[in-house]
Amino acid sequence: MFHNRAEAYALALPAAVFAAIVFLVPVGLLLSEGLHGPGGWSLSAYVQFFSEPLNQKIFLRTLKLGLMVTATAAVIGYATAYAIVSMPAGTKGRMIGLVVLPMMISPVARTYAWIVILGRTGIVNEALKFVGLTDAPIRFLFTETAVFLGLLQLFLPLMIISLVSALENLPKDAVPAARILGANWLQVFVKIILPLTREGLIVGGTLVFTGSLTAYITPAILGGSKVLMLETLLYQQVTVASNFPAASVIAFLLIAMSFSANILLRRIATARSGK
Amino acid sequence: MKWHTVLSSAMALTLGVGGAAQAQEKTLTISVYAFAQDEYNQILYKPFEEKCGCKLVVETGNSVERLAKMEANKAAPVVDMAVISTTDALQASRAGLIDTIDTSKLSNYGKLYDIAKDPNGDGKSVGYTFYATSIVYRTDKMKITSWADLLKPEYASHVAWPNITTNQGPPALFMLGTALGQTAPDLKAPIAAIADKKDDIVTFYVKSSQLVQLMQQEEIWAAPIGRFSWAPFAKLDLPLGWATPKEGQTGGMNVMVLTKGGKNRDLALQFMDYWLSTEVQTKIAEAMIDSPANAEVKVSDAVANNITYGEDTAKNLKLIPAAVALDNRDAWLAEWNAKVGQ
Repeated sequence: MFHNRAEAYALALPAAVFAAIVFLVPVGLLLSEGLHGPGGWSLSAYVQFFSEPLNQKIFLRTLKLGLMVTATAAVIGYATAYAIVSMPAGTKGRMIGLVVLPMMISPVARTYAWIVILGRTGIVNEALKFVGLTDAPIRFLFTETAVFLGLLQLFLPLMIISLVSALENLPKDAVPAARILGANWLQVFVKIILPLTREGLIVGGTLVFTGSLTAYITPAILGGSKVLMLETLLYQQVTVASNFPAASVIAFLLIAMSFSANILLRRIATARSGK
Repeated sequence: MKWHTVLSSAMALTLGVGGAAQAQEKTLTISVYAFAQDEYNQILYKPFEEKCGCKLVVETGNSVERLAKMEANKAAPVVDMAVISTTDALQASRAGLIDTIDTSKLSNYGKLYDIAKDPNGDGKSVGYTFYATSIVYRTDKMKITSWADLLKPEYASHVAWPNITTNQGPPALFMLGTALGQTAPDLKAPIAAIADKKDDIVTFYVKSSQLVQLMQQEEIWAAPIGRFSWAPFAKLDLPLGWATPKEGQTGGMNVMVLTKGGKNRDLALQFMDYWLSTEVQTKIAEAMIDSPANAEVKVSDAVANNITYGEDTAKNLKLIPAAVALDNRDAWLAEWNAKVGQ
């Protein structure tokens, strides 16, 4: 397309300079804060952070919830996306519109709705009481369950959209052909659908996982200080404790976890496809 | 070479214009909480600007940010006066950021309640407002006569408790400790009592605004709050009361401080004096923004019921001394995170 590389570089230069100034440099500065000890460069902030049992627990909880939300979103996402791509064109468009619709509503409003739904007098508890599954209201609010549900609802559309576009590129005959040749649905999924849609899974999975790790409003409102996650801990460390080295450690962990998730998803997708 | 010329002429222009403006008009830079600024502007800032013929520059933010800024600008202070909590004032005093206040230049100083006069005992702060912290509760569901009542088995699962990181957290723990007969400043006993019930307690709140919704949907029946958060609860169509526990009410105070090395000392003192005047304190109280520290302020019962008001209230507030709060703050957070946070 270009006569020489220099032209291509020149075109990319403004964006690259912008990204470097407003993103790479600040991130570098932020991360270096966590590597400064009293006597120069050191890992003491990391050692200190992980020596606190509470911090270990919050790290593991964040990882666990992120993985659970991503896995659940993938399962529901594949089923929904497959159903959507099998629909006639007009319905498909409307369905995708419905999936995207919640993303146009502020996460604050969506999260607050969960407070009403999951409350003691909320619809979930009323329904459970009505069918006789419980006498006294069950506590959902300010638990990991509430945070899990809030995050899943927040990020599921990203997974569905990524998988819909991946499944659209799946050759129409591939699945029927495999079925005719005797493959069951599990085999079809593992051997046909997954390998051919892995880019969608990687993109969707990374978006959902990264989103779950870095969401602040949902864990703050639905979990509160009883279910601290790295992001809410980060806020506490900065605004209350003024502990900037610890904040830098948390920021590094969040970035590292996001990159690791992306690499891991790539590995899973390529291993299954045998490539 | 060319660039240098452009830059230096630009700088000369900026400086020149700035210098001219300064000659015209004095400026006073204040640092305040980012709260009710529209009302402050009408009641306090604008009238003061007219009175002094000067210009007010208002910096806002939470106290952590503002203290960090003061520390960073220590060599060449930007802010002339600031309003912060008594604890933050003591921290600033220890860090050498603030100066002694010449109260002889404050004509309204004598009108203040005793607790507002030099609350830290170092001559470097003057209280302009204080508030009570007690318990908002459902009068039809429970009876609260002591801070310890909140932890009764039949009540605990309907209580929201302030997180240690909030302004209400330590005072509420201090009163719980008093109720348990344990008044050690390390707060270990009340933190342990809360930790025992941590699975029952609905949430450890960070923002009192969140409590209104929880109260409305009957998620909670009671929570320790500052009096300044009471108004939205009073508007709910629920039988809610303000507890007067036998151990008393606690609370907090905000103070005015003068930056060390501030250039506009006299103007800052004039501004502080105006803020403490009966006229301004009455208007701020009537707008239900801050409770008055000036004892001459008279307000209607309707207003008095929504703020922290009156000599008896002021006298009976059991406030945690700033030195205790400052010396124990990190230990409280560590103890809380270890026992309750997990």
